Amino acid sequence: MDRKTPLEKALIYLTALVVGVIFLFPLYIALSSAFKPDIDMFARPPVWIFRPIWDNFIALFTVRRFQDNIWNSTVVATGSTVLSVFVGSLAAYALTRLKHPRMKDVAFWILSIRMFPPIAVVIPYYILLRDIGLLDTPWALILVYSTGNIPLTVWLMRGFFQGVPESLEEAAQVDGHGVWAIFWRVALPLAAPGLAVCAMFCFIFSWNEFLFAFMLTSSKTQTVTVAVMSFWSSDAIEWGRIMAGSIVIVIPVIIFVFACQRFLVKGLTMGSVK
Amino acid sequence: MATVSLSNITKSFGNIEIVHGIDLEIRSGEFVVLLGPSGCGKTTTLRMVAGLENISGGMLKIGGRVVNEIAPKDRKIAMVFQNYALYPHMTVRQNMAFALKPQKMTVAAIDAKVREVAEIVGLEELLERKPAQLSGGQRQRVAMGRALVRTPEVFLFDEPLSNLDAKLRTQMRLEIQKLHRRLKTTSIYVTHDQIEAMTLADRIVIMRDGRIEQIGAPREVFSHPKNVFVATFIGSPSMNLLPMRVTRANEGCALASGTIVLPLPLKNDHQVREGQEVLLGVRPNFIRLASKPALTGNPYEFEARAEVVELLGADGLVALRLGEHELIAQVDESVLPEPDAKIWVGFDAARLHVFDRASGDKIL
Repeated sequence: MDRKTPLEKALIYLTALVVGVIFLFPLYIALSSAFKPDIDMFARPPVWIFRPIWDNFIALFTVRRFQDNIWNSTVVATGSTVLSVFVGSLAAYALTRLKHPRMKDVAFWILSIRMFPPIAVVIPYYILLRDIGLLDTPWALILVYSTGNIPLTVWLMRGFFQGVPESLEEAAQVDGHGVWAIFWRVALPLAAPGLAVCAMFCFIFSWNEFLFAFMLTSSKTQTVTVAVMSFWSSDAIEWGRIMAGSIVIVIPVIIFVFACQRFLVKGLTMGSVK
Repeated sequence: MATVSLSNITKSFGNIEIVHGIDLEIRSGEFVVLLGPSGCGKTTTLRMVAGLENISGGMLKIGGRVVNEIAPKDRKIAMVFQNYALYPHMTVRQNMAFALKPQKMTVAAIDAKVREVAEIVGLEELLERKPAQLSGGQRQRVAMGRALVRTPEVFLFDEPLSNLDAKLRTQMRLEIQKLHRRLKTTSIYVTHDQIEAMTLADRIVIMRDGRIEQIGAPREVFSHPKNVFVATFIGSPSMNLLPMRVTRANEGCALASGTIVLPLPLKNDHQVREGQEVLLGVRPNFIRLASKPALTGNPYEFEARAEVVELLGADGLVALRLGEHELIAQVDESVLPEPDAKIWVGFDAARLHVFDRASGDKIL
């Protein structure tokens, strides 16, 4: 039974409204600015009601060929997600099922890789990738992003695999199935919500990442986050195109998360180890 | 069908030995139950037979072949787990077929075998359902069906009925009995429930702290327990144990405690010594209650007081105060006394047990 007084309910809703406004207001500013001419963007007082224009979006795709950057981001994010989820889930399964006293230490070492601040490793990565000829290629970012995504996948999937009863795998073992069949046909299907959660996190991180993309790519492999920043130059700041580009960057992620939020909640709660 | 032979089987985790030298010979087609309290090593022993645990010492043979280093899949065994271990993402058909996939059978052959076994365990109508859509008893039958499809030489059951309610447990026990009578596969069954053991087993292996306390047919372990542990573990309610001392009476030995003296029905008095502390064991079902003594001067009849009376239905339990001793009697409901009533308690001399108090071993 809901025992909250009308005043308490009102306070709760008011707090939720304030928090929502704080988080959504920047998005509103970006969205409205993307459809405004520059003169309206900086008008005082602010122009709340205006006639939207598509010029910024049109320029984004015709003058700046933003679709190439979208393609680069898609390739890099997808590549890193696939690689991280594949390698990470295999590693997580081994860490969960192999009975060795040092497995916890190995798991912690893998997680500690994620703790490195990107700024501390970006120069070594640059030098390494330059020496092996991968600079300004999708593989540069796929590999670098995977160094961060794989540890995250290992840690998330470990929890999910721990939730798979060992008796299921023992039953398959008694029936004659080998390790790979047990992993592929018993453990992984049961940990599938975990895979969805990991894929979402890996994709979003890779899609939104800026520092490595800025340092390790140039014109050929420039991703959307770096491309948007290129509208800010010493000659001019193309606010309209920056905002339009930001909206274009955010839309796929919002759609992706909304489409998979049921999976996300189910996966996150199922992963808790009893 | 195969024999199973455990010779001095031990199991250690690190430096801690938890199974100490198990010796057990199981005949082909026999249904053997490993019975004992939690932590006694019965499941560990079963898992060693299955190959899911390494054997630290000793020799295990199945069908005359040493299998210590043989993988579970090559031991020709099938196992039914306590929590059924059904694959939740597969249908009943797929669960059973999955067990046959490693045998490289054709799809048609697998399907035919699955149908055959589904008929045996009564699952024909449920083949397309998933485990979440089944009741506890149905899931148990799927688990047994999945074991059956492989036509093993030995069945291993790890407390398969412990997750079921009492009524379903009784029903499934009958199903298991019928199945065993039909297939006559060598079976090793682990349980902590002595009723399951008594009803299912050809022989019961009673274990405690990683050791075998006694092996025998149900009637034998019930009527002739080797020690106090077996005596109190088998039988419900538990056997009454009355602390007494051996005295010398006019003819032969007697047991005494306070005002209670009863002759010791031993053929050879030298099995006991005067003053020895013993435990007199008498099962609640073999205590007679009456309002007056059946025979005058019967040395096995005593006056007692009924402290608590519990009606169970067709029979009842009576908590008795006999001198300084408390004991439980299980009697027909028609002879239940009133609470606090004075009552005459009669023991059947042929059903008495005497154990040494220090060692717990049986004397009589």
